[in-house]
Amino acid sequence: MELGRQIASRLKEATFERVVAAGLSNAEINGPRIQRSVLELSRLRLGAGDSAIVVGAGPSLHRRRSLERLRASGYAGTVVAVDGALGACLRAGVVPHVVVSVDPHRERIVRWFGDPALSAAPADDYFRRQEMDPAHAADELSANRALLRLVDAHGASIRVAVATSAAPEVVARCAAAGMELFWWNPMYDDYDRSESVSLRLHRANGLPCLNGGGNVGTAAWVIAHAVLEKRRVALLGIDFSYPPGTPYERTQYYPELRALFGDRFAEAYVSLEHPVLKERWFCDPAYWWFRDVFLEMAREAECRTVNCTEGGILFGDPIELAPLEDFLADVRAGADVTPSERT
Amino acid sequence: MTKFLKGNYTLDVTIDETGDGEAMQTVEEFERKALSRLGGSICFVSKKGFLWKGEDGARTSDRQPS
Repeated sequence: MELGRQIASRLKEATFERVVAAGLSNAEINGPRIQRSVLELSRLRLGAGDSAIVVGAGPSLHRRRSLERLRASGYAGTVVAVDGALGACLRAGVVPHVVVSVDPHRERIVRWFGDPALSAAPADDYFRRQEMDPAHAADELSANRALLRLVDAHGASIRVAVATSAAPEVVARCAAAGMELFWWNPMYDDYDRSESVSLRLHRANGLPCLNGGGNVGTAAWVIAHAVLEKRRVALLGIDFSYPPGTPYERTQYYPELRALFGDRFAEAYVSLEHPVLKERWFCDPAYWWFRDVFLEMAREAECRTVNCTEGGILFGDPIELAPLEDFLADVRAGADVTPSERT
Repeated sequence: MTKFLKGNYTLDVTIDETGDGEAMQTVEEFERKALSRLGGSICFVSKKGFLWKGEDGARTSDRQPS
């Protein structure tokens, strides 16, 4: 087995190791702010019909102008966005019904909501390096100021499905922008075991535990079908990978892979040809693991999942591939999407 | 080591046989820490459904785990 897939096969345990301490620490700090459960979202009227669109922050989101096309369509269903896609959504005139945030990182994630404390370009090149939101790569400070204004302007009409693991800075920023917070616990481990962290956390705060699938995009998809009970869910910007030609230096885990494997770092990437585009996309071990997990979870879900990303590596049974317009047309017609690979 | 080698003599020094095991543990610990830098932002738990509402609530997995 190639190195990247070998590493991916061990990331379930590695992720627990990575997030549990920070997640529990944040949960304790966030405790006094917790008022509403994510389950309450299902009782709100968020978009028409039984469909939802989950918006991730992958490179296809702007490459395919997915949000501009969504905006032009007048789609009336539910829009669930990951925190990293919030800025792109608002700039395109798409105000998501729900934004999902989970990452416990204390400095980085608040930037997706506009960081009121940011006064100089940070040494951390996380945002400049990647293609998740090109607005941040160009001029971090002015992008941050613009995002602060946008989020302040629309905050009151956005609900945040926020994990107890989320950074307190994110929680404070969302509350300051007038967003309503709906809480959930990340499912850290098997709640049926007596020593389970998930069980302990649930007993402490009474919140449901959500199986997040490794990343916020998958968590947003879980919220769309398992919490909001949508039965047709389209994905935008869920690439789990980088387009052909992306320099390794501009990938999310490059510094870590370089530090771990030195000159052999490139062997840790995995590539896959998109069946419709015939392009070879590549990913870090983490994204390969996200893909494997998503496919496993999708097989258990009662919703139909239509990947309208138009790029990336998320395909295979039972996920359907279709252009966004096909999904929207079928929603308007009230019909099921015909399984296809029509990207 | 005593599992594989047996001597017909006695030594004046005490051999610490835990060394290899400790080194192995250190390597495993290093490997675990190193890999954790490559992990995701939220866990995944196999075959436990999508949403667990707690001990008194029904788990709202769309299907029962296989």
